[in-house]
Amino acid sequence: MPIKSYLAHPEEGQKKALMEALSKIDHCDVIPAENKDLLIVVTDTDNKTDDEKVKESIEAIESLKLLAMVSGFNTPKNK
Amino acid sequence: MKKRLGIISLFVILFIAFITIWNYSYQLGLEEAYIPIEDHSNIYAIPSESGVFKRSEHALDYSNMPIDENHQRSLTTYYKNRAYHGAPPSIPHPVEEHQNMGGQSCLKCHENGGFTEKFKAYAPVTPHPELVNCKQCHVEQNTKTLFTSGHYASVEAPKAGVNNALLGSPPMIPHQIQLRENCLSCHAGPSAPKEIRVTHPERVNCRQCHVPNNKEMAAVGTFKRVSNEE
Amino acid sequence: MQNSLTSRRNFLKKMAAAAAMTAAASMFPGIIFASEQDANLPKGANLDWKKGPCRFCGVGCGILVGVDKGKAVAVKGDPNCSVNKGLLCVKGYHQIMCTQAKDRLTHALVKKNGRYVQTPINEALDIVANKMKETIEKHGKDSVAMYTSGQSTIPEGYVASKLMKGAIGTNNLDCNARLCMASAVAGFLTTFGADEPMGCYEDIEHADYFITWGNNMAEMHPVLFSRMLEQKNRRGAKIIDFATRTTRSSTASNKSILFEPQTDLAVANAICYEIINNGWVNKSFVENHVNFSKGLTNMGYGLEDKFKFSDKPTKIDFESYKKFLEDYTPEKVAKYSKVSVKDIKYLAAIYGDPNKKVVSYWCMGMNQHTRGTWINNLVYNIHLLTGKISQPGNGPFSLTGQPSACGTAREVGTFTHKLPKGVVTNEKHRRLAAKIWNVPYERIPSKPTYHATEMFRAVDRGDIKFIWTQVTNPLVSLPKTSRYRPGMEKESCFVVVSDVFPTPTSDVADVILPASWHIEKSGLYGNSERRTQHWNQMVEGPGETTPDAWMTIEVARRMGYGDLFPYSEENHVEEIYKEYTQFHEGAKHGMAPLEVLKKESGAIWPYVNGKSTQWRFNAKYDPACDNGKDFHFYGKPDGKAVIWQRPYEPAPEVPDAEYPFWLNTGRVIEHWHTGSMTRRIPVLHKAVPEAYVEFHPDDAKRLGIRNGENIKVSSRRGSCILPASINQRGLPTKGQVFVPFFDENMLINDVTLDAFCPISKEPDYKKCAVKVEKA
Repeated sequence: MPIKSYLAHPEEGQKKALMEALSKIDHCDVIPAENKDLLIVVTDTDNKTDDEKVKESIEAIESLKLLAMVSGFNTPKNK
Repeated sequence: MKKRLGIISLFVILFIAFITIWNYSYQLGLEEAYIPIEDHSNIYAIPSESGVFKRSEHALDYSNMPIDENHQRSLTTYYKNRAYHGAPPSIPHPVEEHQNMGGQSCLKCHENGGFTEKFKAYAPVTPHPELVNCKQCHVEQNTKTLFTSGHYASVEAPKAGVNNALLGSPPMIPHQIQLRENCLSCHAGPSAPKEIRVTHPERVNCRQCHVPNNKEMAAVGTFKRVSNEE
Repeated sequence: MQNSLTSRRNFLKKMAAAAAMTAAASMFPGIIFASEQDANLPKGANLDWKKGPCRFCGVGCGILVGVDKGKAVAVKGDPNCSVNKGLLCVKGYHQIMCTQAKDRLTHALVKKNGRYVQTPINEALDIVANKMKETIEKHGKDSVAMYTSGQSTIPEGYVASKLMKGAIGTNNLDCNARLCMASAVAGFLTTFGADEPMGCYEDIEHADYFITWGNNMAEMHPVLFSRMLEQKNRRGAKIIDFATRTTRSSTASNKSILFEPQTDLAVANAICYEIINNGWVNKSFVENHVNFSKGLTNMGYGLEDKFKFSDKPTKIDFESYKKFLEDYTPEKVAKYSKVSVKDIKYLAAIYGDPNKKVVSYWCMGMNQHTRGTWINNLVYNIHLLTGKISQPGNGPFSLTGQPSACGTAREVGTFTHKLPKGVVTNEKHRRLAAKIWNVPYERIPSKPTYHATEMFRAVDRGDIKFIWTQVTNPLVSLPKTSRYRPGMEKESCFVVVSDVFPTPTSDVADVILPASWHIEKSGLYGNSERRTQHWNQMVEGPGETTPDAWMTIEVARRMGYGDLFPYSEENHVEEIYKEYTQFHEGAKHGMAPLEVLKKESGAIWPYVNGKSTQWRFNAKYDPACDNGKDFHFYGKPDGKAVIWQRPYEPAPEVPDAEYPFWLNTGRVIEHWHTGSMTRRIPVLHKAVPEAYVEFHPDDAKRLGIRNGENIKVSSRRGSCILPASINQRGLPTKGQVFVPFFDENMLINDVTLDAFCPISKEPDYKKCAVKVEKA
């Protein structure tokens, strides 16, 4: 059950578009910065395959310039 | 014969001296203990500033630390370990080194805390690591029975969550802070009782928003103008 | 099981987000995520949250006041305000509680036969207007005076200035900001020709070093200090505390350096000596943007009535400035400043390192100084020599103590020599004011009259026969109240006091007018970083309480100046602000329009083309720079800032055999200024119920003084009895005692000295000689 966080840098002037595109994707939370062109993306999926799918769909967004992963967690299955 | 008489009279003199001195000190002991008490109508203490920022270098670590819900203390267990709130806590675990005063052997775990497998708990962090004669105030509990029972007063301990003056305003400090000037040692990290663990240890300048409420020292009341004629 | 699993997942998600925020903060200092702050706010209560600035200090935090059924019940920091980002201090969180105090002034009180009689507000305003008119007719325009405040809102200051200077035609208007900011103003005007800091609070996120000059920011500007601490912990920025007393700020700093009172002048010069001697001067900056000047010395201390001084600047060259500094080698200065040679060189090396960004902060330590203008100049010298100015993270920053000392006192100009734009001595400025006010130009007098201290001396002498104080409590805050209290009690002067609570000043009033508190009226403030902030009325005030601006307008109308004050009661704040902003039009001081201020948590002037200007005089950020160079100090005609040659001169009164201690006065975090508001807030009163006198433990031991024991502190002017405090809140240096001045029941200002800086006329509350004895 991977949980990952990323910093998403939008293309110049496209922060709003990126924000909208990201919020349409499932298993994906967005926290925009108030005063800088930067968004925080947290993904929370059930398995590795879903995780990769989500990452692919994020990277496919046109208004995204750069996606950098910050941290990743995996919740243990048997807890 | 003369020698024997001399010895006997010496002992008699010593005996009389002993009786006199003993009597005198007994009489003194009967006098009531006297402590000069100055009339201070306005005793209140502004807490010392020493130690306010002492553990602030760990504040960021504290705020990044995950909360281990299975091994946290609660305010009840915290108070249980003290005769009354504010009293030095007793040592709730066996101590192996009996000869020393505490010092390094206590500080190993209690200076910075951390998880101890043996006790399945996080070691509480002392707010005053500079006082190394630990066993001066903190003692073991080696029996559960009492010598004689007594009418020990129960002092009501401050409660968490009821100390703010306004909705959502930062709570006042409901306890005295002598020897506990360093807030983060008890209010941050995995050993902090869950009810009083601060959500924002990274703020460090605690007394910017949380000020002492001196009601435990002396009821201060509200502000009154001296020049008011009423 | 399921439950704990989701909570664990939620927790991990939060952790992941937090990690990303930390990473983002290291890339973009000052980044704000509103949703993070919102999570910590109280939930549950169904409150209506209204935006405004905090009532207290000059930091100007954004607050949100929770209103429930027309009553203010909660306060939180505004997460969208870039000043405080959701954080406040203990005063801010509890501010609304003072309005509930039992002794709130709810109706006008008029003194009749020695007793105060409750009077309808309209009648009271009639009495004030008639008395003012009558006094002018009998004794002339200069026999009436108004004394206002750095806590007056912009409209309140504006109508006071318009009434006194435009309608009546007297310069008898000054304000309590004279007691706190005048030296900063004089410093800015002499060095840059333009008032107020060039930088902004965002400097905190960029600087490598913070050097605080005689400034206990942890208690006085706590929210800014918390921003500094955050940078210290996250980024390793360093805080150096340079002071005469060990305080909470010293404890939190990387290094604390103590100096002997008044020798900051010498140390600042020694730092400049070191910078020049080590070749750390930014040569191209100095060549392009700096002039050198010297002024008069041995200026005196303003101790005598009707003291006059005007400086005569003379241009000098770099070489003679360098020669002058030879008297200030670290070795020479160390001898009397008690700062070690090593520490002086350490400070100089920080300023001198071209790769380190340095911000200097100061407030009352440098301003309340008999050489306040000089020490302000001297710190600017350091920044100008090294070119560390007007850039993100580099610059001198003069902090303010009152919420609108900048916005009202300095920008509207409620000083005797000021007009909303410029000064009364300048004909162009008088003509502009006359035009906007629609009054004959001749009516505005060209000569300044009384500054604060001299104004109360004039009351004592009987020269002023009518005085109206608003939003201030001079009989606690003036120096040497032992003279000015009996002065105000004299029959010769009619005293009108507008306030929210009874104070020692209202105790001597002939008429007391009940003022609306902060959120019971609409208004505008301006904070230390040139940020203008607006708020709308949030709750109704009790009884007949009335906004100060409206009371001034009502009195003006009753005096026959109705045509100059055509404002409406409902909307006067907006109407006045619109009229006022005409004064500042243009790229150098343009003010943000009301529509913007209503939407945002304040905007920084110069507000040009819809944008705040964060760093003035730097062509990269400031559209008013037009000399084609990278910097333009456009306040001066030649576009260059001035490095002033200013010597060390001793304080007017120094400890001697009879009065062996320095007396320093100041504040504590819990109380604000004269305590008329904060002492009526139970949380704050319980934390610090009364004033005290702090001793160095060695002095206390030598004199056999114990904690809590009553001590009589006396000077040549008066005395005051307070409990001793040893090793508690602060630690004065040996041979010095410290007393906070908030306590009207223990008036330490009966003891202080009314000496002032001859240039700025700001008194020095930090240094006089006292003796102490057990009471």
